[in-house]
Amino acid sequence: MTSAARTTRRALPYRIGGRRGPGEARTGGGRGTRTLAYAFVAPTVVLTVVFSLVPLGMLLWRSLHGGGVFDLEPRFVGLDNYTAMLAEGGGQALGVTAVYTAGFVVLTMGAGLGLALLLNSRAPGVARLRAPFVVPLVVPVVATALIWANMFAPRFGVVNRVLAALGLPQADILSAPGPALLAVLTFGAWQFFGQNVILYVAALKSVPRDVLDAAAVDGAGAWRRFRHVQWPLTRRHTLLIWVVTTLTGLQTFTQIYVLTQGGPDGATSTALYYVYDQGFVQFDTGRANAMGVALFLLSLLVTVVQLWLVGRSGRAR
Amino acid sequence: MPASLLARRAAVYVALGLAVAIVAFPLVWMTLSALKTNAEVINPAAPPWPAAPRWSNIGRALSQAPFGRWYLNTAVFGVAATAGQLITGLLAGYAFALLDFPFKRTLFLLALSGLMVPFSAIIVPMSELLGALGWLNTYQGLIVPNVASALGAFLFRQFFLGTPRELGEAARLDGASELRVFLRVYAPLARPVIAALAIILFLQNWNNFLFPLIVVNTTDMAVLSQGLSVFRSQFTTDYNLIMAASLIAVVPVLLLAVTAQRHIIEGITLGALD
Repeated sequence: MTSAARTTRRALPYRIGGRRGPGEARTGGGRGTRTLAYAFVAPTVVLTVVFSLVPLGMLLWRSLHGGGVFDLEPRFVGLDNYTAMLAEGGGQALGVTAVYTAGFVVLTMGAGLGLALLLNSRAPGVARLRAPFVVPLVVPVVATALIWANMFAPRFGVVNRVLAALGLPQADILSAPGPALLAVLTFGAWQFFGQNVILYVAALKSVPRDVLDAAAVDGAGAWRRFRHVQWPLTRRHTLLIWVVTTLTGLQTFTQIYVLTQGGPDGATSTALYYVYDQGFVQFDTGRANAMGVALFLLSLLVTVVQLWLVGRSGRAR
Repeated sequence: MPASLLARRAAVYVALGLAVAIVAFPLVWMTLSALKTNAEVINPAAPPWPAAPRWSNIGRALSQAPFGRWYLNTAVFGVAATAGQLITGLLAGYAFALLDFPFKRTLFLLALSGLMVPFSAIIVPMSELLGALGWLNTYQGLIVPNVASALGAFLFRQFFLGTPRELGEAARLDGASELRVFLRVYAPLARPVIAALAIILFLQNWNNFLFPLIVVNTTDMAVLSQGLSVFRSQFTTDYNLIMAASLIAVVPVLLLAVTAQRHIIEGITLGALD
């Protein structure tokens, strides 16, 4: 991105819609422009309607109606699907999702911020150390999940080898509820934390060096510089990073699909795994759709924060 | 250099070294396991490295499953979906940023609504919809629903809002058509954004697991991630072969990541912080 574009952009207020602000030139409003504009937006708008809004409508409607896949006579059942979903493992899945997402946010944002602060230091060669943190983000999750399944294996898995070497009792980690959730969380955090390292590095770069240097001259140590300069000046980044991290945590699926299939006894069945399991394994689409709606509403809450942030202050840089 | 600064720098290096080791360890473990005999893998007393590296494991894994076909499917899906996302996003972003037309606001909100509906929430109706279209187990079923990217449209719009309008005005005064203004003046400006988004979108599509899982259930239409999952269910206890298969899936992406890490970092930052 050119720096020229960046400076112009900073001066532009963010607006939704097409009303012209002062100083905005009128583009040709002729029929040719209109046709071109509609042709340009049509693919995005049409595909979004067909493959996002239509399925969303189907989801909401189906969640309030009875009948499985083979039932040709759908009837209105009110909130029955929701009560059934909550009673049949859905409540547990929402709880697991809450615990998982909370742990995921704390681990990946903590690690991300800590490592970004280290990468921000002036020690020679440190800046180049950013690259390795990209790796877990871009390798296929199924492949790394197979590796972690191998590492958590009973007896010969590397985790149990370490336990044995330390003289601790061996465990079949993925078959015990608490350890299984912790194992899935550890793997999920390993896969994702690099993204928060990168984002926090970018956030800290936006803090002017001279402000930090001035604080240092005034005798502020590293902690006080962080507490009173870096943290407040990157608050908006922190919120945006929280949004992306939370949405990712809420929609954890592949790790669980490969490592535990939601077991033991639903201890690692997150909301999305529950939707998949009910919809595509048990064929109870009523419950699956009720959980789908819950997942949609949770994500919507988080996305609203994001849009409000973006809308309030044009840009992050 | 005072001793305290030296100590602090040493601590920085040690902490970062540890973090890099945590990132690398599972991948190193995978490589070591892929080169062992199965007896070595399941023997907890065996050393972490293979007695004699068996590169033949990789060939064996390759010959046991249609990896070539899976790679092809993933490439078709990855390239087509990424190209579609970039083109539709570029066009829509430009029109929403720099053109005036009736119902612009409504259409923009419709496009933006795509950001509000995570695919995860709609997997069941999506599979019903694709079933009704007869698109299950087809390339179009994989590709078409992924062609529009609300995020892409949104980011390109942000970018074009920041480009100087005088450029277009000057071209129009010279008698250039609207299409020409876009193709000759504005689209080339977006090259850095296209590059940053291209790589990150491609990697997301390449590694997508949930969407193909909903659309495809035959071995010959499976993408690489699904193929790995199938491979594992067929060779449950051949741990060395499972690790060799993972290696086959990881190495190409790893090479891409190493060569294009700048673009990846740029793309990640663009997608989350803008």
